[in-house]
Amino acid sequence: MVTLNVNGVRHEVQAPDDVPLLYVLRNDLQLIGPQFGCGLAQCGACSVLVEGKEVRSCITPAASVAGQEITTLEGLPARWAKQKGLSADQARNTLHPVQQAWIEEQTPQCGFCQNGMMIKATELLESNPQPTLAQIKEAFTTSGVSPNLCRCGTYAAIIEAVQHAATIMAKGR
Amino acid sequence: MATMSEKPANVFGPTLSRRQFIKAGGVLVVGFSFVGPELLKADTAKSGTLKNTLDPTLPSSWIEIHPDNTVLIRTGKSDFGQGSTFTAYRQIVAEELSVPFEAITTVVAGDTDRTPDGSGAFDFLGHGTPNIRKAAAYTHQALLDLASERLGVSKDKLSVKDGIVSGGGKTVSYGDLVKNQQLKLTIPVKGDLTSIFGLTIEGNPPMKPVGEYTVIGKSFKNSIISSKVAAKETWATDVRLPGMLHARVVHPKTLGSTLVSAGSVDKSKFPNSQVVVKGNLVGVVAPTEWEAIQAADQVATATKWTEWKGLPGNAKLYQHLREEVDWTSAPVEKSKLSKGDPGPVLASAGKKLSATYQLSYMKHAPIGPTMAVADVKPDGMVHIHTHNQNPQALRGEIAMMLGTSIDHVVVHSYPGPGHYGRSNGGNAGAEDEAVLLSQAVGKPVRVQWMRADDMQWSTQAAAAFSDVQIAVDDKSKMAAYQIDHYMPAMQDDRPIGAIIAGLPTMPAPQVKSDSVTSTVNGIEDPWVYAPVPNVMERGHGTFQVGQKASPLAVGLRDHSMRTPGQFQQNYPRELAMSEAASLAGADAIQFRIDHASEERAIGVLKAVRDASAWDTRPSPRPDAISTGTRPVRGRGVSLMLRSGTYWACVCQIAVTPDTGMIAVEKYTVAVDPGIVVNPVQLKRNVAGGAVMGIGHALFEEVMFDESGIKQDDWISYPIPTMKDIPEIEVVLLHNPKVGAYGGGSEAANALAAPAIAAALHDATGKIMRRLPMKPAYVQAVLKA
Repeated sequence: MVTLNVNGVRHEVQAPDDVPLLYVLRNDLQLIGPQFGCGLAQCGACSVLVEGKEVRSCITPAASVAGQEITTLEGLPARWAKQKGLSADQARNTLHPVQQAWIEEQTPQCGFCQNGMMIKATELLESNPQPTLAQIKEAFTTSGVSPNLCRCGTYAAIIEAVQHAATIMAKGR
Repeated sequence: MATMSEKPANVFGPTLSRRQFIKAGGVLVVGFSFVGPELLKADTAKSGTLKNTLDPTLPSSWIEIHPDNTVLIRTGKSDFGQGSTFTAYRQIVAEELSVPFEAITTVVAGDTDRTPDGSGAFDFLGHGTPNIRKAAAYTHQALLDLASERLGVSKDKLSVKDGIVSGGGKTVSYGDLVKNQQLKLTIPVKGDLTSIFGLTIEGNPPMKPVGEYTVIGKSFKNSIISSKVAAKETWATDVRLPGMLHARVVHPKTLGSTLVSAGSVDKSKFPNSQVVVKGNLVGVVAPTEWEAIQAADQVATATKWTEWKGLPGNAKLYQHLREEVDWTSAPVEKSKLSKGDPGPVLASAGKKLSATYQLSYMKHAPIGPTMAVADVKPDGMVHIHTHNQNPQALRGEIAMMLGTSIDHVVVHSYPGPGHYGRSNGGNAGAEDEAVLLSQAVGKPVRVQWMRADDMQWSTQAAAAFSDVQIAVDDKSKMAAYQIDHYMPAMQDDRPIGAIIAGLPTMPAPQVKSDSVTSTVNGIEDPWVYAPVPNVMERGHGTFQVGQKASPLAVGLRDHSMRTPGQFQQNYPRELAMSEAASLAGADAIQFRIDHASEERAIGVLKAVRDASAWDTRPSPRPDAISTGTRPVRGRGVSLMLRSGTYWACVCQIAVTPDTGMIAVEKYTVAVDPGIVVNPVQLKRNVAGGAVMGIGHALFEEVMFDESGIKQDDWISYPIPTMKDIPEIEVVLLHNPKVGAYGGGSEAANALAAPAIAAALHDATGKIMRRLPMKPAYVQAVLKA
């Protein structure tokens, strides 16, 4: 039995000690934001935030993050609402600024990697609200255990969306 | 029930039939009937098609007009990230019907039981007239006929704005025209539903004049992006059926190995797992995904295969292709634009280029490995839930594998990772395996390929080489151009699981084939330098490498990939054009302009020259240097006509001679697609293609030994990362007088390689005629 704290909700999960978090999130908790891309922590499609840090759920045993604060793509709106002290009504009708920017900039193409891109962007902007171009590139290539990979080649659109999200967050809306 | 009042009317050939006075609702649906000689073929070979699609009670129409003035559209084309079905298709239909973009509330795509026309997720804009445009144009005419009758005003006196028909001082909405009626418009089609190209709408309904467009040309947002970003979309990876089991497949040890003995499951560790064997196909099935993964790993180590060493190996690839392959089995293809007699001119040329260009195998490398959920029911019905570029073709392949009719196969289509052409012939990899395992265990089964399966058991873009000869005369003009393209068959549409299991598939690529799987190497890169007096373009084809030697009949299977075939032909042509310009002492862009006559080709060249701040001069640059630790800079250009769109690209690079490292600093591209349907979506597609093209140019190469592909992850097969991308500038040339919509999601990837290679020559004075331009290969060329 593993106790997971995901998106502010406690879950008791029957799972072997070594099962990676990704399979628990997708198959037991029906949280489908993280995707299986490589199973090797080489692409970032499966990323989640653990205590605010981007983690590759495909190789992270669920038991190793028991009790820690886990945020998936589904939990980004509530994370933002909590940070901004929004009311429950406001929170229900909002998206995280990163998600808003991803839509406004029309960033994804196939979109399969974009879960990890948005998780990485959230991690970056929470610690550095106004990143430079070089800092954005560093975040998406060298800050994690591997670069965040996009086969559709949306990197330029991701950079624009991160900059746009920074603007939205600065306005606090 | 409705009172029948059949009154067929003729609408530019198609017929409109009606059942009036239904109690509530009402609808106009657009169905079809076959025309021409294909009718007989379709009626016999594809009887399920007709039965399924001629019944107006089945929801397989292209377009539905509802009483509340909303519109639903259906297309066989699944979205793979191009966004066309959710943006351009809505815009095209809204334009032809004269309704607002927002009136098209629903887009149904891909599902074989709910969409009419099949075909693959490529060429969405159909060279300017996709099926959906004609369907909308026919529907518009039918609605005008209805309005004319309702208002008592002749059709030519009617006009439509926002779905309201006006004439003679009276108005009626589309919704009111269909209210309380069941209307069916039957339009003519031809083709084969489960072929790669699906059905095509026939006839020439009047289209809205381009000058009256109000919806096309605006950057409407792609609706599916919102649901994906908010984690509200159901992806193929999310499908979970009641009682479903998870599976992994233990693929053979080599591309030619057959099964000696399948390992058994260690029940002490994996009590709920079971092994399924079908021919040489070994699957491991378990209730949970983690157990399936671990049990499959354990079974793999205990499974024994025959050895096989039938491939030339990576190091000997080009030697094998040049010296050992039989290029005489397939007839030589000659381009229609070949003319004159280059032979004597080349023989007596004062300045002559004679060179060979080589291009490696490359992977499509979707960011998620292929997967599918299959449910084979006791009554023989097969349901497949997957992400596939051509669900109708997959349906046909699965029916063939099982020896059943397509009536028994339904493919449900969901979003997933882009395939870039890999599944446009109907299968990506796991679908057939999921069907066979579900059939064996009598439950729904989900097969997920792991990263290594996807690298080693999927198809690849074909390797190729080309021999080029160019004569330049004393006026610095090209007097003759001759190119011979050599490429193994580039499209193998056989499902891999069916091959391994020894079950029926279509034939392996062969000379005589009625689809794109022939070994014949057609000319895919349209010649754009019309003033050259003597031109010879020939294509030489053969079987896939290892296809005949492998006991599995597998070998290195190929499949079309973004700009298929044309990439392999445009790269040598455009790099040779840049070399010919150098030979002539001319600037590479001006040289192309001087050898072009088509206004649009010249237009994109001038636009890319301006946008890239190109310094007009011959290459290499006067201070070109091929040694040292300091980066040197250069620029190169490339040109292409593809799917009705003209493209010109300039790449500016920095190369460090001592390391061979190339950094692309700026990628500028000018695109003239005719009518620009959606500028933002087009720009996003082009910019993505540019990034993929940099990977193709600089580091993507399939590495294989005598037994199979050696790459199994993103370290061994690297693709571009964010730090690899240059500044990207996309210049869109909206050209409404063309009157058609050109394609936009291909070409940009192919344009990078010849432009970067020309830039390397410009910077260093050394020419590299091989892809990819990996640092070690570049170093070797610069030291030579």
